[in-house]
Amino acid sequence: MRAYFARRLRLLAPIFIEPVEGLPPADPEGVVEFNREFLRAGTPAFRLLYYAMILVLQALCLATRGKSLYSLPPDEADRFIQSLYSHRVSALGAVPAVLGTVIYMSHYNRDDLQALLGFDVAAMREEAAQRGVQR
Amino acid sequence: MIVKPGELTGNIRREADVAIIGSGAGGGPIAKELAEAGYSVVVLEEGGYFTREDFDFRPGQAFMRLYRDAGQTATVGLPVIIVPQGKTVGGTTTVNSGTCLRVPRHVLKRWHLECGLRDLEEDELNLLYAALEEYLFVKRADPEVVGENNLLFLRTAEKLGYSGGFLPRNAKDCEGYGVCAYGCPSGAKQSVDVSFIPDAVRAGADVYTRCRVERIVVRGGKVTGVRGHFLDPRSGRRTFRMGVDAPVVVLAGGAFQTPSLLLHNRICLSSGRVGENLSIHPCGATMALMDEPLGNPRGIPQSAYVDDFAPEGIMLEGVTLPPAIMAMTLPWGGRRHAEAMCMYSRIGTFGSMISEHDSSGRVVAGPSARQPLAFYNMGRGDVERLKRSVLLMAEVWFAAGARRVYTPLEGFKELAGARDLGRLARTRLRRAGIYGLSAYHPMGTCAMGGDPHNSVVRSSGETWEVENLFICDASVLPTSLGVNPQLTIMALAVRAAGFIDDRLSEGSIDTRNASRLDRLRNRLRREKESTIVQ
Repeated sequence: MRAYFARRLRLLAPIFIEPVEGLPPADPEGVVEFNREFLRAGTPAFRLLYYAMILVLQALCLATRGKSLYSLPPDEADRFIQSLYSHRVSALGAVPAVLGTVIYMSHYNRDDLQALLGFDVAAMREEAAQRGVQR
Repeated sequence: MIVKPGELTGNIRREADVAIIGSGAGGGPIAKELAEAGYSVVVLEEGGYFTREDFDFRPGQAFMRLYRDAGQTATVGLPVIIVPQGKTVGGTTTVNSGTCLRVPRHVLKRWHLECGLRDLEEDELNLLYAALEEYLFVKRADPEVVGENNLLFLRTAEKLGYSGGFLPRNAKDCEGYGVCAYGCPSGAKQSVDVSFIPDAVRAGADVYTRCRVERIVVRGGKVTGVRGHFLDPRSGRRTFRMGVDAPVVVLAGGAFQTPSLLLHNRICLSSGRVGENLSIHPCGATMALMDEPLGNPRGIPQSAYVDDFAPEGIMLEGVTLPPAIMAMTLPWGGRRHAEAMCMYSRIGTFGSMISEHDSSGRVVAGPSARQPLAFYNMGRGDVERLKRSVLLMAEVWFAAGARRVYTPLEGFKELAGARDLGRLARTRLRRAGIYGLSAYHPMGTCAMGGDPHNSVVRSSGETWEVENLFICDASVLPTSLGVNPQLTIMALAVRAAGFIDDRLSEGSIDTRNASRLDRLRNRLRREKESTIVQ
């Protein structure tokens, strides 16, 4: 992943992953690292699409809000993202949806976060290791 | 033995009776059958070899390790549909839900009448199914471990008068960890990597992992071997060469990779059917916000079904999602997304699978053999079927007490009750307005048939054009199956193994030989008796 896109993803992570009470905030470094691995393992087409979506998102914000996405106050950035998600032109809705897919997977893939949501991965891993079904 | 790339020191060239490309639902059973019959068998698998200790409950890592292209394979067309496929020892069986259903009778009848496959006899298939079900410990999902999500949906559907039940699965002592699609961490699911492949290896088969076949060698109309390369697990770059000289080659790479390999090698193309006829069973899912926690994702994800609408081509099947996957699926971002994820334990999920009637798709050779392109467009009738399936699921969820139902349909992402259902029922959906669809059963791209002009393989699995080249994967299924296909692929693979045995021992195949069925019956009886004695 080029440094430019890594920098953008670091900034995008907290916009997509809003802080809420009871859950840990976004870890931009973790998001970038996961994205890097995930995109490397995937298809060149998806990689290109993903980077293009970052550029399109930035351009859309400039065009509709007259400001860089990263300089918007958090509430306004959130409203902008929501407006795209619910846009009646499906192609515009796809812009945050494609980016969000990987950003959210990387965030909610964390063991600590999954445990807080009731999916205690560490405990289940231990339990499964002890069971070991034989044919 | 199972050979990993780190154990290699140079190029490999070897001889075998049979070379099998792919180790999934088609390749695994053939490898076991032929290795146990005393033939030297080499299996070439593009993915890596992982055991239950490697399956760590993290969907993100599973996508990168166990899935082709990290699960990013998608169709080109409207709507865009994600088609995740396994790329590991065991193929997609390692990452599927384990559902084992037989071919529906009306589908088999269609194969007989429309595809010229009368010698695919129901009696023979039933014998094969029975043997496989016993070998794979297939039984109905245990209601004790199906999980609240599936139980609630099924009970409510039954109250509404819809027929359904618990799905038969290839699992032994399953505890319902809820992560079948990311590798079974206890080894309960009897996927090919823990069943057929270990048995094949015990019988002497060799499995080479991280090995991609690029060339099928054909001389004088007969296949004589395959050539390929090993791949570096990290970079995916080619390392050593691999060559197998074998009088019989079996393609079992799945409905995307198998036609791609044939197209790149320019063989079996005279019918013009290689890559055509793609069907995928498009799947939609609904999520429902309930008042009470459902214990997600604990429980068997795909354990309950509603089949009342199967004659229309709609099958409802259970699904539960770990947080990382649900987070990808929710139709919002930002604060709204975070608030919804806080209610994760109260969000129920159920899925639908559409058996295609008027959709069309094809696989074409991409820029490289590794990455074919799949074009697929949903037909108007199938879009309506998908809408109907969403309406049915929403109806059940509301009857179960859901406050909101979330759907993959533009303009109807959130349904609040009967009024929204009515509005959706009256709406003609645009294909571009359907998002987040997935499909798990690509098939039909090297269709089996009785006529060499409109099919790629005979009923034995052997290609019409190249002698001793067999295809045994979902690509041979001539029509959309309507149910999860793994058991049927396995049954056809075991059947094909019998023909390969005939070919290698006697030099001929007669698919209409009446004594075949008797021999099969006797063999299964002998195997059963020896199991009982042991």
